[in-house]
Amino acid sequence: MKSETYIIIPVYNEAKVVGDVIREVKKHFKHVVCVDDGSRDNSAAEIVKAGGILVRHPINLGQGAALQTGIEYSLHDPKAKYFVTYDADGQHQLDDVRAMLKVLDEGEFDIVIGSRFLGKEAENMSPFKKALLKMAVKFTNRTSGLQLTDAHNGLRVFNRHVAQRLNITMPDFAHASEIVERIAQENFKYKEVAVTIVYTDYSRAKGQSIFNAVNIGFDVLINRIIGK
Amino acid sequence: MIGIQIFLIVVLVFIMGNFLASQNSSRTKAWKKMLLLAFFAAAIFIILLPDSMNRIAHAMGVGRGADLLLYGLTMAFIFTQLNSYVKSKQEQRRLVVLARKVAILEALSKNSHD
Repeated sequence: MKSETYIIIPVYNEAKVVGDVIREVKKHFKHVVCVDDGSRDNSAAEIVKAGGILVRHPINLGQGAALQTGIEYSLHDPKAKYFVTYDADGQHQLDDVRAMLKVLDEGEFDIVIGSRFLGKEAENMSPFKKALLKMAVKFTNRTSGLQLTDAHNGLRVFNRHVAQRLNITMPDFAHASEIVERIAQENFKYKEVAVTIVYTDYSRAKGQSIFNAVNIGFDVLINRIIGK
Repeated sequence: MIGIQIFLIVVLVFIMGNFLASQNSSRTKAWKKMLLLAFFAAAIFIILLPDSMNRIAHAMGVGRGADLLLYGLTMAFIFTQLNSYVKSKQEQRRLVVLARKVAILEALSKNSHD
């Protein structure tokens, strides 16, 4: 399973932490695809040094675009069977990835999504962020018709079928809502698994601004109007 | 004919001539051109008969011709703004596809799958 799994990490100005994250992941997985989204710092050099596969956007395109690039790159390997989207700031746990891969390997589901609100509680999450994320989930569930507890978690594990059909077009952070919508459109069999997110000072400082919720909501609605 | 009328008509004809010459014709753009032609015709009509604007405004229940012009301008402005927003989003998507291709090709030539 290890050599059939591709870990996809979107990287944007994460030179300080990305090396350690890659080294940690490399202990357990062979293929770590890091999409450097036009970073201005030396993230790219850190990725290469840590042994990650570097895929480098010539210009900054956004996290959603980086994920899609990582997926398309990984699909070039015909043996790639499982795909994991993983954050570069070290807030995800490899134990969770293993548990999610196990669920996926049982074959009942196409995509397994990490949830911060299922059983385990997010560590060090501010109450305001919690409230906002729950609101975002309501919005996403309403527009997609799915029943999720956490739509904006970066940790997802899915099979080749999903990887081929996902086709993320929202370049920025609205991609999380888009993925949920794609699950609904394509009737992927999905399951949520409780995961632990460790919010460090670093990840908190890097995290999305609260105001981005407005941008995301607007973009999702505009996307409806423009269509694919 | 007063000076301002001659000036406005000359400017309009010049813009229209340039517009029709510069755009490459395709069926999807045809309706926009029709609208624009109608706009030019209306503009020249109103320049020659400025009082007609007031009469049209009154007929539509608007106080002055200038007010009607402002309403029309507002609508046109919102339309063009939305149009260019949608256009820029579409352009952005094309750019993403292109940049992704470059990134993947570069990575594939450097790292070979094993």
